[in-house]
Amino acid sequence: MPWSRIPQSQSKVDGHRIISFKDAIREATDQAMNLDPNVFAIGLDADDKFGVFGTMLDMSHPERIIGTPISENAMTGVAMGAALSGMRPIFIQLRVDFMMLTMDQVVNYIAKWRYMTQGKVKVPLVIRAVIGRGWGSGAQHSGSYQALFSHIPGLKVVMPSTPFNVKGLFLAAVQDDYPVIFIEHRWLYKNTGHVPEEMYSLPLGKGAVVREGRGLTVVATSIAAVDVANVCEQFGYDAEVIDPQTLKPLDEPLILESVRKTGRLLVVDYDYPMCGFASEVCALVAEKAWSSLKAPVSRLTFPESPMPASGVLEKAYYPTARIAQRIEEVLGAQ
Amino acid sequence: MNKTYAAETISVPSQAVAVALLRRMRIIRQVEERIITIYPTDVMVTPVHLHIGQEAVPVGVCAHLNDADKIFFGHRTHGPALAKGLSIKSLMAELYGRTTGCAHGYGGSMHLVDPERGMLGSSSIVGGSIALGVGSALAAKLRGEPWIAVSYFGDGATNSGVFWESLNFAALKRLPVLFVCEDNGLSNVMAKSDHMFADVERVTAEFMPTLHADGTDVLSVYAAVEEAMTHVRGKRGPALVYCPTKRWMKHQGVEVDDLAINPVDRDADCAIARLERLMLQSGLITADESRDMVASIEAEIDAAIEFAIASPFPDPAELVREV
Repeated sequence: MPWSRIPQSQSKVDGHRIISFKDAIREATDQAMNLDPNVFAIGLDADDKFGVFGTMLDMSHPERIIGTPISENAMTGVAMGAALSGMRPIFIQLRVDFMMLTMDQVVNYIAKWRYMTQGKVKVPLVIRAVIGRGWGSGAQHSGSYQALFSHIPGLKVVMPSTPFNVKGLFLAAVQDDYPVIFIEHRWLYKNTGHVPEEMYSLPLGKGAVVREGRGLTVVATSIAAVDVANVCEQFGYDAEVIDPQTLKPLDEPLILESVRKTGRLLVVDYDYPMCGFASEVCALVAEKAWSSLKAPVSRLTFPESPMPASGVLEKAYYPTARIAQRIEEVLGAQ
Repeated sequence: MNKTYAAETISVPSQAVAVALLRRMRIIRQVEERIITIYPTDVMVTPVHLHIGQEAVPVGVCAHLNDADKIFFGHRTHGPALAKGLSIKSLMAELYGRTTGCAHGYGGSMHLVDPERGMLGSSSIVGGSIALGVGSALAAKLRGEPWIAVSYFGDGATNSGVFWESLNFAALKRLPVLFVCEDNGLSNVMAKSDHMFADVERVTAEFMPTLHADGTDVLSVYAAVEEAMTHVRGKRGPALVYCPTKRWMKHQGVEVDDLAINPVDRDADCAIARLERLMLQSGLITADESRDMVASIEAEIDAAIEFAIASPFPDPAELVREV
């Protein structure tokens, strides 16, 4: 098994090489394909000159990068069929919104296959789904949907946030024998940070403490974790910022331990509010750390509406500008 | 390309092949006839979609497959699964919901699996598993391995977008996949003329070699698939075999179908009777041998049911497992 040679890293590695988030994905994909001939990438425009926001350019094995027609449903089934038959496909969706065309395959097939066959057949498949807003992309090109996928038994859901964790989490996802929905916010692609050149994996199901503090716990996903950390840095809040990194399986002990220390919880999640990931974390804390709470739990999410197009509305739709105010409210609440 | 295999143009295969085809069709028929007798006692708590009357298609197809070849089929599972080599014991134990079933009792009739025999799972949602066969064929191509994949479906599935998407991709990428349409003329209780506007075979012939077989004649299916295999196994590209046949039973359950749009002649439309007559006439089997074959299959079914009943049920403590 070539993958047994990949070391697992659980802490931030101090390194000197700084690369971008997108280059970290590119490097991880290239290394995975070099390591294991069963790894291949497939998807609409996976092989075009734009290279999926630059994450698929200059690869060592272009023969294992397959562009597809606009047939999302069948192509998801094709990726799964290959996964059942010995391959480790990376299926690429340029927008998570397109995955709504594939939900039959994702929910009825990919998620359930291992259970229905009681492990006789596994589905080692990664689906890269790009999320984010920008330039009036509008209601059908700006979705997030992490809660939708997290709701389904049989799927793992990963949301990387830094160049370091995207490489380690991606290599862990490709190596995993369960199907993984790997959700990338496209505003992260240009961010830079330390990334070791060698292969390493980060365990799925382990979150990270982005910033330590004692006043409140802020759980934030994907780019929201970056936004929250920046706000805390700027205003000097005594906040413990937790990035779960994988929504499913969820690192419950990390969140509970922090809330037992701080007694206050805010969850910032760029997704719809109803039955969302923020609601899930609040339920977790209410069930298992109730006696530690000094104030009501709080959620900061998209509003209960689709994404608008006009720049003014689009900016207001993301709750980023309201993070500081909400932190102060939670800190001051009795 | 459209080619039709009519009975008069087909030569009888060797005795060994003919006996194997007859035996395999009878296994499907006799297993399902036994299910019909057991089902009303409610010991098999799983929806069944019986294959009686359609046996010629899976048997004629799977006679050309080996264990390394993959097959993906839909909700009407018993026929293709038994034809591909699933043991009667594994099937019966699954229908009885026991741990010795092919999916340890977690799958049921519609989700049969046997990786050692190339069955990587089946789906009860019409259409989607067609794409799995195409993806499996892509794996064979990328790995440079000699096996092929089969996407096996009914006429109802040709209504679905995933069917046409799969055909297009298999043709574009030249994948070693055999599409088999077992057309029983009915989508649940809807006549084909009410659910499909076009002549499917004429359209699929634009994408790949398309062969037409009589799905109530196992020798016709056998000959058509033999030629299709020259494309799929030989030239490593896709082909489709279209097999009109007759569904004798209701879409689901163990009752005889009495739809006016589905008249069945239980003698003329019976692939088993047709083959047996031909074999008796041409001396490929004697009446005694034929009777013995039926009896030995009955004994196998008896043993499988005893095995299933003696097997334990799954432990509720293991409800959440492999998820």
